[in-house]
Amino acid sequence: MFALLGTNGAGKTSTVEVVEGLSRPAEGSVRVLGHDPFKERSLVRPRMGVMLQEGGFPPDLTVTEAARMWAGTLTSPRPVDEALSLVDLAHRASVRVKQLSGGERRRLDLALALLGKPEVLFLDEPTTGLDPESRRNTWELIRSLLREGVTVLLTTHYLEEAQALADRLAIMHRGRIVAQGTVSEVVDAYPSRISFVPPTGVSLPVVADVESSGRVTVRTNELQSTLHELLAWAARNNVELSGLDARSASLEEAFLAIAEEAA
Amino acid sequence: MRAVAVGQAELKLFWRNRTALFNSLLLPLLLVPVLISVDADGVPLVVGLIGFALLMAVYYNLVTTFVARREELVLKRLRVGELTDPEILLGASLPSVVVALGQMVLYCVVVGVITGVELPSRPWFLLLGVLGGVAVFTLLAAVSSAFTRTVEMAQATSLPILMACLFGSGLMFPLSALPEGLAAVLEYLPLTPVLELLRAGWADGPVLQPLIVLAVWIVLGTYAVQRWFRWDPRR
Repeated sequence: MFALLGTNGAGKTSTVEVVEGLSRPAEGSVRVLGHDPFKERSLVRPRMGVMLQEGGFPPDLTVTEAARMWAGTLTSPRPVDEALSLVDLAHRASVRVKQLSGGERRRLDLALALLGKPEVLFLDEPTTGLDPESRRNTWELIRSLLREGVTVLLTTHYLEEAQALADRLAIMHRGRIVAQGTVSEVVDAYPSRISFVPPTGVSLPVVADVESSGRVTVRTNELQSTLHELLAWAARNNVELSGLDARSASLEEAFLAIAEEAA
Repeated sequence: MRAVAVGQAELKLFWRNRTALFNSLLLPLLLVPVLISVDADGVPLVVGLIGFALLMAVYYNLVTTFVARREELVLKRLRVGELTDPEILLGASLPSVVVALGQMVLYCVVVGVITGVELPSRPWFLLLGVLGGVAVFTLLAAVSSAFTRTVEMAQATSLPILMACLFGSGLMFPLSALPEGLAAVLEYLPLTPVLELLRAGWADGPVLQPLIVLAVWIVLGTYAVQRWFRWDPRR
């Protein structure tokens, strides 16, 4: 899985629409499964599934009717019931689309993207509007698709989603890719953090930022040794570090730092 | 045909849309007795009613259908599937076309029984007129939809073509009643050649010029659809 992240308005959806073959690239070339997705649409489309950020269904069709219509346009669809149960919508099969919740509509969208048994799957913010449980279920579904060998291009606002699922990712800002690589490659470029509230009047053995609340933050590229040094010092001097929190850089921190730098 | 899957879904939606159902099925039935009381002559009446079906059941219905599906993001979704662009438009227009053809058959039977219209001597011209008319007004509906922001706006944006065709193509009164110069210009409206072909199904009349005008409209319409048709909502 490749995840495309970015600030709002960075151009993620526009980029994905070019890769999907919805619009023609202004310059350069795009290849999906070895073909030009715009000019050779008929070769590429049967092998790909797309979940748009905003896709529509006629509101007066039922879930099954909408899925059946979609299946009727495909070369080799899987059974409609199977696609609906993959996304836990089987129990809503005879409900009109307009009566579905936002999260259910999202899942119907995913079911349609999976109907054609795609080799390449485009997911544009697939879990936006889902409750935590549905989001976990969707993640499990995506993981099982990845195990089956499906290639996924994901865009998302949820950084933990990219961190949990993606093999590689890129971060976009104002139309440009500002960082890319595996999750750890992107994250390792940013320091880990240790934060705590020291008693007043002690002088710390490490360089730290002090916030107005009295909380201090230590940034380090060697979390383990810095933390060891700090804890040893505290034990020797009998200092209590209240609210101690130590963590490696997360994708979220990398992302925020990139957005800040670029701004 | 893959487009039929879309057409079937559209047909279901049509049955569930009371306004569309009323406009396409009941309204024409009310129209027949009114027109029969005005004009007792069979062939012009049948020709006029077929023209009317092309304008309302094909053109106007399809402007609203295309706009509604576009604003519901259905067109956008269909476009990431396997269907080609023409297949999507064909699928979305199938029910309206089927309903229009049904109306035409109904008109022919009702008027034929009441006024005793003879069977057309050259039915192929009738067929050409109907098929060409369906093609032209489907394309024009797709073009008009590009300039229509909402379904409600369709009433306004479809007016130019509806009015021009209602009053300028000999539907309400014969073109021969108009000044010669004006009548010559009105020959080039999209509905005029269709009506001429329909009339030619029953009686000798000009055929070559209407066929050419109709073909030009189809070519122009195809070009305009490719150039202007919008798959994404207008915002």
